[in-house]
Amino acid sequence: MNREEILTKINEVFRYVLDDEELILNESTTASDVEGWDSLTHIQLVVAVEKQFNIRFTSREIQQWNHVGDLITSVESKL
Amino acid sequence: MILNSIEFLFFFCLFFVFYWFFAGKNQRIQNLFLLIGSYVFYAWWDWRFLFLLILSSFANYILGIQINKTENTQKQKPFLYIGLLYNLLILVYFKYMNFFITSFVDLFSFLNIDWNFHTLHIILPLGISFYTFKNLSYLIDIYNGKLKATTDCLNFFSYVSFFPTLMAGPIDRARDFLPQLEKYRQFDFDKATSGLKQILWGLFKKMVIADNCAVITNQIFDNYTTLPFWTLLFGAFYYTIQIYADFSGYSDMAIGVGRLLGFNVTRNFNYPYFSQNIAHYWRNWHISLTSWLTEYVFTPLSIRFRDHGKWGIILAIVVNFTLVGIWHGANWTFVLFGLIHAFCFIPLIINNKMNKRIKPLKGTALPPLKVGINILLTFILVMFINIVFRADSVSHAFAYLEQIFTFSRPELSGSTDFYFVTDLIGNPREILVILMIGVCFIVEWIGKETDIPLNVLTRSWNLPMRWLLYYGLLFILFFLTGDRQEFIYFRF
Repeated sequence: MNREEILTKINEVFRYVLDDEELILNESTTASDVEGWDSLTHIQLVVAVEKQFNIRFTSREIQQWNHVGDLITSVESKL
Repeated sequence: MILNSIEFLFFFCLFFVFYWFFAGKNQRIQNLFLLIGSYVFYAWWDWRFLFLLILSSFANYILGIQINKTENTQKQKPFLYIGLLYNLLILVYFKYMNFFITSFVDLFSFLNIDWNFHTLHIILPLGISFYTFKNLSYLIDIYNGKLKATTDCLNFFSYVSFFPTLMAGPIDRARDFLPQLEKYRQFDFDKATSGLKQILWGLFKKMVIADNCAVITNQIFDNYTTLPFWTLLFGAFYYTIQIYADFSGYSDMAIGVGRLLGFNVTRNFNYPYFSQNIAHYWRNWHISLTSWLTEYVFTPLSIRFRDHGKWGIILAIVVNFTLVGIWHGANWTFVLFGLIHAFCFIPLIINNKMNKRIKPLKGTALPPLKVGINILLTFILVMFINIVFRADSVSHAFAYLEQIFTFSRPELSGSTDFYFVTDLIGNPREILVILMIGVCFIVEWIGKETDIPLNVLTRSWNLPMRWLLYYGLLFILFFLTGDRQEFIYFRF
């Protein structure tokens, strides 16, 4: 799976969890760009992404992400 | 030296002249003056603990560089752990040692084991909880790749000991503050005047509101057994006003002094008593501490417990708020205070309302009825929990609360000064104090969209009117100041 395909899938997960059908993510999107993406929904998002790709992130990895691109890199490294 | 003392006024005027007139255009000399000024300021209280401050700065400076040297997690970890251990051990020793000893002695005597163990004579170094938290976040940020370690020891030492915030915060993060130290600060007239306004407002809250409330709350909490429940309710109300005016007043002064020196110190209060639920309250109260704990305790824990859904979040909140409580000091009352707040979060977590964004209130009009009721209920909840915070011991807190909830009305006895509410507010001074509390909250309501309410209030006023207000406040400061009380947060 390439980065773009991962982004598309992540975007779907975000739309579902944040209940926002019009949400469009790109590599440089950060939490402050998206309404409702806070420290709590962040955890729900992480769990949903892990389920979607059937992978497991480390705690440190999760805390190091600065934008969606970092999340994609983490997913990519585990597939 | 406290920020509302004459000593500090002299110290700061002298410092201000040196800082702006003798540092030339040199950022390093500015920082050198800051460091020397901060050390003089700290040594004024007790010079012996200056060595602890310097040692802590030095240790964290070296550890930061060591963590930054490599990107290999395995090689970084030992230095991070040494740092965490060092900072936490110092904090535990000075702040909690006697608490552990007395708690163990109590436990053993409860189990009928006679354990003869004496408490130690430990003096709590002022500001230790604040600068230790600065150091901890510095190391963790470097480890998490959010910050590069500074190799400039002058900058780092000045950050740790920055005197306006050294004694009681706000707790600035290195990633926000070090960049400010790395640049030359140019005198900015607007920033300085807004700093002065913030200091004036802080002084008003501390000296007029908090210090006057303290006189009343001290008497009520000390003589509660002889007082009827309505006076005790009054005591809880006054204490809730007092603690806010005291700490937010202090923070305003610290931030204002920072502004006069060209710095943006992080915000500490966002009108917490206008909050609409308990989670909202904690996002607006002592922000620099709660955001610190959210980032370094709550978030990592909730990530770790993420497979357990809402239970994981509840567990993380309980741990987080127990720490919030214990951070305030070594007493079971603080633990209980934290736990009660944590339990108040549970309904919000279950209903998915904990982090729900609450629309900021705009304008000066009264809020809609529903919002108003939420604000009032949140205030009342906070007020009751503050009884536990203020009490000397858990049994004191329970006895006080029991008297309220059993509508106790003890027989009139010797100490009847406050028996009736009318006695409490019967003299002109108390009426003035209540009036001033009203003024304080009206001004803050009007100014709630910014961090300096006086700015909003005077926005459309002309110059003479504004000066009239400033002189009026100064006048009130001189004539209505309560007996000088220590800042509550100096103990933490």
